[in-house]
Amino acid sequence: MMNIALIGNPNTGKTSLFNNLTGSYEYVGNWSGVTVEKKVGIFKNGKDQLIDLPGVYTLNPLSKDEGVVTNFFLNEPFEKLLNILDASQLRRNLHLTLQLLEYGAPVIIGLNMLDVAKNRGIQIDIAKLSESLGVNVAPVVARSGKGCDELAELVTAGAVGTGKNNLVYYGKAIEAGILELENKLAGKIKHPVRWLALQLFEGNPYVKNYLETILPIEEIEKLINSVTVDQQQNADSKQALDQVIHRKRSEAIDKIVSAATTKQENKKVPLTEKVDMVVTNKFLGIPIFLVLMYVMFMLTFDWLGFPLSDALDSFLSGPLTSGITAALAAAGASTFIKDLILDGIVAGVGGVLVFVPQIFILFFFISLLEDSGYMARVALVMDRLMESVGLNGKAFIPMMIGFGCNVPGIMAARTIETPKERLMTILLTPLMSCSARLPVYALFVGAFFVEQKAAVVLSLYVLGVVIALILAKVFSKTLLKGETSVFVIELPPYRLPQARALWRSTWDKGKGFVKKAGTFIFAGSVLIWLLAYAGPEGVNVSMDDSYLALLGGIFAPLFAPIGFGTWQASASLFTGFLAKEAIISTMNIIYFVPDEASLQGLLAAHYTPLAAYSFMAFILLYIPCLATVATIYKETGSRRWTAFSIAYALVIAYVLSLVIYQGGRLLGLT
Amino acid sequence: MLGKLKTGEKGRIMNIASADKFVRRRLLDLGIAEGSEVCVKCILPFGGPVMVESCGQCIGIRRKEALRIEVERV
Ligand SMILES: Nc1nc2c(ncn2[C@@H]2O[C@H](COP(=O)(O)OP(=O)(O)OP(=O)(O)O)[C@@H](O)[C@H]2O)c(=O)[nH]1
Ligand SMILES: [Mg+2]
Repeated sequence: MMNIALIGNPNTGKTSLFNNLTGSYEYVGNWSGVTVEKKVGIFKNGKDQLIDLPGVYTLNPLSKDEGVVTNFFLNEPFEKLLNILDASQLRRNLHLTLQLLEYGAPVIIGLNMLDVAKNRGIQIDIAKLSESLGVNVAPVVARSGKGCDELAELVTAGAVGTGKNNLVYYGKAIEAGILELENKLAGKIKHPVRWLALQLFEGNPYVKNYLETILPIEEIEKLINSVTVDQQQNADSKQALDQVIHRKRSEAIDKIVSAATTKQENKKVPLTEKVDMVVTNKFLGIPIFLVLMYVMFMLTFDWLGFPLSDALDSFLSGPLTSGITAALAAAGASTFIKDLILDGIVAGVGGVLVFVPQIFILFFFISLLEDSGYMARVALVMDRLMESVGLNGKAFIPMMIGFGCNVPGIMAARTIETPKERLMTILLTPLMSCSARLPVYALFVGAFFVEQKAAVVLSLYVLGVVIALILAKVFSKTLLKGETSVFVIELPPYRLPQARALWRSTWDKGKGFVKKAGTFIFAGSVLIWLLAYAGPEGVNVSMDDSYLALLGGIFAPLFAPIGFGTWQASASLFTGFLAKEAIISTMNIIYFVPDEASLQGLLAAHYTPLAAYSFMAFILLYIPCLATVATIYKETGSRRWTAFSIAYALVIAYVLSLVIYQGGRLLGLT
Repeated sequence: MLGKLKTGEKGRIMNIASADKFVRRRLLDLGIAEGSEVCVKCILPFGGPVMVESCGQCIGIRRKEALRIEVERV
């Protein structure tokens, strides 16, 4: 078995290729920094492993996702590298290739995006490129799968050469520095010294740390200093070492590229630029973004999603329930089993499944945004606003993803370069109203705000964003002061999303929701039903005497000032910590109803519209769900920040609901 | 200064040394360095970022950083 690592610049199609070669599905999107952690898959031959890595421009990392790659290089075993190049941006891509060749591992190059290059009038002589680098170059189109089989064969078959590792001469001073390090390290190390030395001179912190485990720090510092001084004297310039190294590589690349490519001037304005003239237009940029969001929102909640969910609800509560009832009767099931299945499982799981159509519509639009290339434009358009609260436009990408699910949103924050902004983004992304919160709103607006359904839900989404922005301002002025904020973003060309890719991406996201309903919510429903079925006085007690009522009752008085001091409300808030949609299952079970419509009827007796709004606002903010908390812990690596993310959310939610409920009452609302 | 160019104007980068070091590194990663030709594609309102094209790729940077990059009009 071999480990083969995929490596290349961001957004060059590595994950698309990975999916093609392994038959799995990992996250693909048209912006830089989609993949943020290592993913492992098995080749279709069933033997070798392919490892997908985040995209990097060089092996000297700036952000956390890039660090993953350098770490992989230093600490993990691999036999071969599969370097993916974007044929339309060869020059920039080859900087990384040169570093890989310096490393000296067996490399094969996959030349991707040939269709894009062709459209731009770039012709590449593959044989010549392969010859000047000394490695195999295989043309592929990862998107359509063209050339993938040949590439798979090439990489999994026997031995592969390591290419030319001396394509660049870095000048006397640097080359002498490399030799000196070689002498110091002789025999002590398994990585190629030339590569280590160049990375060290470029200022790669991971490599420096690694070398510090072998050599004394002072010696390393001394070496860097002396090389810098020599270099500056020799060249009679003030350029730093990393710039010199970069320039030397550029010169070598220029030679390679001009020998291997021909470019016809293409006077046509690319479609991408035409689209950009509109969507990033001075005046239209923000309005267009808002209109798009509005359309997406209305389709999810009103125009399309609502009727679909309604139809599903009547199917679940009608034919399905009666079918199960009949089947249970025929099987002669006991009353206990019948109650458990109908009032527990069907009510609990069914109550959540009803919202599958709406969730899928939402995920479809998020996938569309991700795959088209608009995501990076949103970041650009929002940067000014984000800057004013101490963040940068890139932080908007995790937040948009967070509308689908907070967990990948928080992961996406890895691409934010400065630690302070990254931390803030991690802390604030849970305030974005994720798809699991959507069922709660749908249920409540159906019961209380039938006329202004969409407007009420929209107000909650906006509330989440506004609170996040305000808190960002507060945090950056208090807890997380200092450190400048930077913003550089690559704007990829627009790509027309393919139906198949869109569907896979939507399904991949939506699948989680369905799966959760079948496992987590299923088990939770059984547990809740049992807690509601049994009480201190025995089993089959009246619900108000059950354990569940007892537990909920302890905390109920706390919620009275914000409008929902019932044991039912606090019991469902508890389950909501496990997964937000569990709130719905719990309510379905507690209120003992078979379907959404009758639950809405019952809710009207327990909540006033004002209390219902206060409840929804509380659900929006009160706590990140269990999976999100685990991710926050994983990403911050700090118990304190994780605890903080929970605590501040609770405080904000309580205060805001208090303001809404008490303020509303003062204004005479009910 | 790059930040002074108007939409549609082209320039060649002369000096990038006074830009923030993060920004400089990222621009270098993207293949934009001294000598690169750039074209301003669009400028967002209220002092927002600028969108710049260079060698067939577009990037966005803040106006404040663009004002620290010396260019010569071409
Ligand atoms: N036109 C064209 N588009 C492609 C090709 N390969 C991939 N794409 C598209 O390029 C975009 C980026 O693909 P990904 O596979 O996510 O790229 P990646 O290299 O994994 O990106 P990061 O994880 O961000 O580093 C997607 O929108 C793909 O559909 C290709 O050969 N031609
Ligand atoms: Mg990827």
